[in-house]
Amino acid sequence: MSALLTEPVEERRGDAPGGFEPLPPAPPRARRTRLPPAFHKTWESLRIALGSLRANKLRTALTLIGVVVGVAAVIAVVTIIKGLDQTVASTFSSQGSTVFTVSKRPQVITSREDFIKFNRRKDVTETDADAVTRLCNACWRTGVAANAQATVKAGDKSSESVRVRGLTLSMFLIEDTDVVAGRAWTDTEEASGRDVAVVGPDVVDNLFDGAPPDQVIGRQVRVEGRAYEIIGVTERLGKIFGFSRDNFVQIPYPTFKKAFGARVSLIVFVQVPEQPQLVTAEDQVRNIMRNRRGKTFHDEEDGFALETQDVFIDLYKSATANIYLVTVGVAAVSLVVGGIVVMNIMLVSVTERTREIGVRKAVGASRRDVLLQFLIESVVITSIGGMMGVAAGFILAFGLAKAMGFPLLFSVASAVLGVSVSSAVGIASGLWPAWKAARLDPIEALRAE
Amino acid sequence: MSEALLEMESPTTEEANGVTEETSIVNGNGLDAEALERGDLLAHDGVPAALISMRDIWRTYEMGTEKLHALRGVSFDVQRGEYLAIIGPSGSGKSTLMNLIGCLDTPSQGRYWINSKLVSEMEDDELARIRNQEIGFVFQTFNLLARATALHNVELPLIYAGVSAADRHERAQRSLRAVELGDRMTHRPNELSGGQRQRVAIARALVNNPSILLADEPTGALDSKTSIEIMNLFEKLHSEGNTIIVVTHEHDIAARAHRVISIRDGNIESDERIK
Repeated sequence: MSALLTEPVEERRGDAPGGFEPLPPAPPRARRTRLPPAFHKTWESLRIALGSLRANKLRTALTLIGVVVGVAAVIAVVTIIKGLDQTVASTFSSQGSTVFTVSKRPQVITSREDFIKFNRRKDVTETDADAVTRLCNACWRTGVAANAQATVKAGDKSSESVRVRGLTLSMFLIEDTDVVAGRAWTDTEEASGRDVAVVGPDVVDNLFDGAPPDQVIGRQVRVEGRAYEIIGVTERLGKIFGFSRDNFVQIPYPTFKKAFGARVSLIVFVQVPEQPQLVTAEDQVRNIMRNRRGKTFHDEEDGFALETQDVFIDLYKSATANIYLVTVGVAAVSLVVGGIVVMNIMLVSVTERTREIGVRKAVGASRRDVLLQFLIESVVITSIGGMMGVAAGFILAFGLAKAMGFPLLFSVASAVLGVSVSSAVGIASGLWPAWKAARLDPIEALRAE
Repeated sequence: MSEALLEMESPTTEEANGVTEETSIVNGNGLDAEALERGDLLAHDGVPAALISMRDIWRTYEMGTEKLHALRGVSFDVQRGEYLAIIGPSGSGKSTLMNLIGCLDTPSQGRYWINSKLVSEMEDDELARIRNQEIGFVFQTFNLLARATALHNVELPLIYAGVSAADRHERAQRSLRAVELGDRMTHRPNELSGGQRQRVAIARALVNNPSILLADEPTGALDSKTSIEIMNLFEKLHSEGNTIIVVTHEHDIAARAHRVISIRDGNIESDERIK
């Protein structure tokens, strides 16, 4: 046997000293190591895969497009929606889930029938608000808001569709309004119905050319012919879904009554100290209001809307669920197309490398070894595509987040998902070509050109 | 070969080559009656002790409705340390025989042992393991992986044997040094001459200490000077104890061997010891 390649004779056959060389016993076999053989084979497959990808850079790049697009779409949308989630959550929790409202109509109306029905309801009045304040002992703060839309003017400038809100002073506490310049109005100013206003920064931008907030204190704005002295400017809250939250004029509720009349349905805001008390307070307020509407427990209808800010979150969630659905569809289509492209390339690769497969089989590669080699190659292609897709998706989301102004949250879970889904595509599309390669007859394969 | 094409009968009823029906009768212990009669060395339970034992090997290809007998009941033994040439014109069945010896193919009929293992009954993956452990192939066209270095090419059988990277490097390097290519380890096949490529292939064939070095027209793609070098290398390997089987159609290559089996029309025409 090959003394040439084995250990020195003395070592190999200990007690049989040199000279005459008898037929050796069974030759030493491949030494097994602690790592399982599958490890070495897998490593080899990985090397081959990377080598053949390097050798066909353009082909690899073209192959990857489908997978990259699919994964990028998912990552971009997931990242953007995560960012929006954060914005929405922080926006609505500024009032938090310690606040609920009583109003004539719900804040979200989804059909014309509902709109007509809600419009027939009794207005929520000052006496309703008083009753809630007086009778609900679980309630901590109550406030009243009356809303209108109007054109606001200052000098020769005017701004249309500004939200004009008549508020009780407690609303500043409930809404946690931050007055950055000037002050809120006093109890006396409210009680006597003075013409004072706390305006949002958009009003300053639009009517005073964005002058610093403290320079507009004392200036006047006119709403429907009535002049108000600006006594405060609030902190900028920014936009949500493209709508500004800073375009408003807040005036004391008694003043609002004088200017816009008393026949406006109010929104009663109720705040509890801690979230767990919310349900108790809601029950009390519902009972108080149902009594005032003359409802017994036989009546299904309340005749008013009692809501927390969760309605917005629910609405938002149902909207984003649809976006997710569409994205998953787009991603699925491009991943399927990408998978077919990968399968095609793998079939080409198997054909091109028929002779190599023959050589590998001749030196001892089993069907399983060949199958694994091509499967790993296919998975390597698609998972590289997946990683590129994750990167592209994050870059896309980063750009959009910058443009639309919301925080960017990189989700590790979505990155992992992107890469694992693309690897799964690799397995699915590599299986048939790999099986074809594994089944090749070594004689035929060695004869291939 | 034209006779072979016309041959339509079942191989077992073939009387012409002196094989009787009894030859394939095997008793309960897996004992081959003819082998016993011929007095072959038996290791145990009727399993031949020779390194290679072929008994009444047939290989039949189905070409549509016709049956083509490439081998018609070939029987021979090869002992350890032999240097054997199998010679025959193209179409004689020698390539078929080489594929069978190399376990790339299985016979249609008959029994074949390597190292006391009955390989004629084995499945694909068992054959792959036998090829990995018992056979070292040397091909006419070298069949090296073009993108891999000489070292990596030589490591290939060890990868499928599950040898660790460190062991693999060490053994592949030793194997390359043995064919005097110690300074060409990191070269790729296209950076090597034909003779060097064939020596890489020989290093690969030997790296897992196979029982048989099986060469198919090993000098077919080489010039005469390089051919002589390669044949000298074979002689050296044989002198070191390797069993070598060379399949060729060139008589001067066959003349370097110690025993020549001549194949014609699927039968052994002659089996001579020449050295």
